[in-house]
Formats: sequence, structure tokens, C-alpha cells
Amino acid sequence: MSFKVIKPGFLTTVQDYGRTTHGAHGMSQSGVMDEHAFCWANHLLENDFNDAVLEITFGGVELEALDDAVISVCGADLDFKINDQAALIWHSVKVNQGDVLSWALPKRGIRTYLAVKGGFKTPILFDSRSVNLRENIGSKLAENDILDCESSSLELDHFVAPQYIPNYNQDIVLRLLPSYQYAEFSEAQRALFFNQSYQITNANDRTGCRLDGAPIALEQEKMISEGMSYGSVEIATNGLPIILLKDAPTIGGYPKIGTVFSLDLAKLAQKQPQTKLKFELMDIHQAQKQRLKFNQFFQISPN
Amino acid sequence: MVKVTLAGENSILIYFGDKIDARLPKNIANFANALKIEFSELIIDLTPAYTSLLVSYDLGKTNYLKFAADIERLLSGFDFSSAVERSELIHIPVYYGFETGLDLERLLAEKELTLEAFIDIHSSQEYLVHAIGFSPVFAFLAEVDSRIQAPRLATPRIKIPAGSVGIADSQTAIYPTDSSGGWNIIGRTLLDLSLNNPDNLNKFKTGDRVKFYPITRDEYIKYGGGL
Repeated sequence: MSFKVIKPGFLTTVQDYGRTTHGAHGMSQSGVMDEHAFCWANHLLENDFNDAVLEITFGGVELEALDDAVISVCGADLDFKINDQAALIWHSVKVNQGDVLSWALPKRGIRTYLAVKGGFKTPILFDSRSVNLRENIGSKLAENDILDCESSSLELDHFVAPQYIPNYNQDIVLRLLPSYQYAEFSEAQRALFFNQSYQITNANDRTGCRLDGAPIALEQEKMISEGMSYGSVEIATNGLPIILLKDAPTIGGYPKIGTVFSLDLAKLAQKQPQTKLKFELMDIHQAQKQRLKFNQFFQISPN
Repeated sequence: MVKVTLAGENSILIYFGDKIDARLPKNIANFANALKIEFSELIIDLTPAYTSLLVSYDLGKTNYLKFAADIERLLSGFDFSSAVERSELIHIPVYYGFETGLDLERLLAEKELTLEAFIDIHSSQEYLVHAIGFSPVFAFLAEVDSRIQAPRLATPRIKIPAGSVGIADSQTAIYPTDSSGGWNIIGRTLLDLSLNNPDNLNKFKTGDRVKFYPITRDEYIKYGGGL
């Protein structure tokens, strides 16, 4: 079973749960930007949580199915069509040999996930199939690429219940854990941070999301570089936040005011530049409880 | 000063000191080893850097309060000199020349040093790997002799060739692949440190030592170095 790439799109890469065990080698975590949509895409096909999918950003993609297959598409509404007919997302879908799957442009959200039964079988590099362009690990999709996966005659009729499908047009509030240098920011600086609406800038990619707003005055601008967690929020020299995402470097030397809860980062992954957002404080116990529930539902075992 | 703090929803940061110190990488490596032995089931990843160790763990098997307490317990009374992690001395051949050392001419003028004196200062000492980061296989080495220290460029270069050796303040490093960067470039190694050779992932680890040795232009070219 395989797909042929007719149009590769703006930024389409193979991703899985990520490369989670190479921090000591300076290697980014990588992996899908929207873990929520990714997990549903695999779940609908009864896949392993870590099976590799295509992360399609903005669209512009056309694929031809070279055999029959069962797939699912979850995440942004990028005007998904099969042979020019609108097709279902958040739903398992049967495709036939010769079908052309297309994603034209973003209607709601910006990233969508194409899962196939058993996952895409691209090479495993350093324990993951995730492409990381910054690190030259793998490459983005190109015209005439062939994407292999296993054959399946499975008949599935699985879908995501409407109440679990996010509305990507909704405003977001990013819940923040008081981590790293949180306590070293003065009360006035923290108030400024939590009380304002920030705006997502154009510098918003798989590495990080830079925000615009009223700068925070810093007493200490530079510190000794230290390991950075997924979602940690650096305050750069200009006083503005950068949220570190999946392809971020492993260490860095700006002070960090906190760490965004991962399931809120999934929502952030669907937002366009200019979108406004706010932060609010979250307790570590709440975060762990909610994430554990998510992990258990999708049978995620990170080890 | 040893301190345990929250880093993320499944990660904890341990500080072993608040200043860059040549003893810390070994202490951190020793503790990371002990942690791996004691809690192998819980740990997903360990990221050491300069003065700290980032520990990510499996939420399904422990939680923040419990694991932070476990770490505190292991820290208290930990004999940092107990087991000494295997540390290697890695030799790196460098052609220090004006074709490869893009900033060398300027640095010699600024520092009022001859090329021979500059090379001798940079290559005569052993550097310690304090951290790996920025990109895979990029090792932060310290401490550069004060006579040849130089701040990062105000405007980073778009492209620095793979193998370039740079200086930024008290640190020196080798760029494993072509990349952008703001370090002062003083030469280039012909060793391939890219991940085209997957074994390079383990080329450096924190606590290792690195020594550069100068090679001539002829040697550099003879063994495949590009200009």
C-alpha cells in the first residue's frame, strides 16, 4: 500500500509522537504539533499511539492512493476532498486505488493529520520517524515521493463524537505552570504578563511561537543555559515571550516565566498569526491529572 | 547550592550550582547515572547542561511531588566524587587559516597576536564539554584563554560551513553542520561531525575533554578538507 505525492504543499512532514530520549545529544523532541488531533487520527484506525502520520500545514497537498486503504484525517479543516468531493474529517474513511486526496487551504485551524492503518513506514531515525528540518533529520514532502504503509482490508466506521471536536476559531487561554524562573519575576511583572492579551506574530513555526505585546522589564536578561521543556515560555531580551515548541533547541539561556500545559499547546498549534491569546496560572497537580487522563484514554506510554 | 524545581508537566530541573564550574559536568554525570540506576522505570530523558540536569519522567508511574521527593532524597548525602563517569579526551585537527577562519584576521589585529601565537593559545589547552545543544553534536567547550576571547558577532552569519571552529566569549565549539550562527570563526576541522554518520551522536558527552591540534593547509586538503 502506498500514496504518491502529486503536490507536496507548503509544509508537509511525517511526524510521530517524537524523539523523546535524545536530550543529552542536543536533539529536539520533534513530533506532531497538535497531539490532540494526532491521537484521534490514530485512535480512529485502532493504531498504536506512536504510529507516524502526515502533518499537513496550510494545505496545497494532493496525494494519489496507489491501492485501497483505510485512512483518517483529524485536525484543521483544510478543505479535504476525495476526487473533488468534500470528504469527512474526524472520521475513518475508505479510499480506493486511484483516488486523489486533496487539501486546498485552511478554513478552520492550520494543521491537519492524515493517518493510515499501521502508520507511514518512513525510516526510523534516532528512534523516531519525525522529520526535523532544523536538524536536517528527514525532509519535507516533495513531488513524486512515494509514501509506503501496510495494506489493510479493514472495514472501519469510527468517528469522533462532536463534543470532542475542537472549535479552532475559539479564543484560547494558555494555562501556565509556574516553573523555572517564575518566582524570580517580580509580582508587577507577573501581573503584566497574566493581565494582557498577547498577539501571535509571523514568527510562529514548529520551533517556537513569538508573541507581541507590552514588554516585561527584566532584571536579569541572560543566565546560564539550561534544559528547556516543551512549552516553556522564554522572555527574550526585548521583554516579549517565545513559547518553545516541538523543534526547539534543547537548551537555552533566557529566563523562563513558566511552561504551557501540553494540551493547550495542541490548541495553539491551530492558530494563525495575529490571533490574540492570554495566559492563566495552572497547578501542576491539575496538569498532571488531566494529561494522565489523556494518556490513558489514548494508551500513550512514553517509555 | 543544590535545588530541585518544576520544569514542565512531566519534567524536573535539578541545579547543582549557580556558576559555571569545571567540576560540575562530572558531578552532574555521576548523579545522572545514579538516577538512571535508581529510577530506570520512571525516567524518559536526561538533559545535562553546565550547572543543571533536566529530568523528564513517565507520568503514568509517578507524579511531581513524589518524584521531586525521591530526587531530593537521592541528592541528600550523595557522594558526587563516588563513581567517576568515563570521560574521554577527544582530539580534533584544525586548519587555522584565513580561508577557513573567517574572523581570524580581524581577531589577530584586535588581540595584537601573531597567527602562531593565536593558534598556540587555542590549541595548547584541554577544554571541557559543559553542554551539548543548539543542535545535535554541538558541544559547548570551555574555558577559552582570556587573551583570545571575543564576543559574538552583532549580526550572525547566515551560513557557517560545517566543521568551522568558533569562539564566543569564554567558549569554543565546532559547528557540526552548515548553519547560521554568531560565533567568531577561527578555523575548520575536516572531521565529519554531521549525523550523516549516526555514530557522531555519541561523539561528545558532557564531562569529556577536547583538545585541538593545528594541521597545515596541505594536510587539511590532503585529507579531504574543503576551502
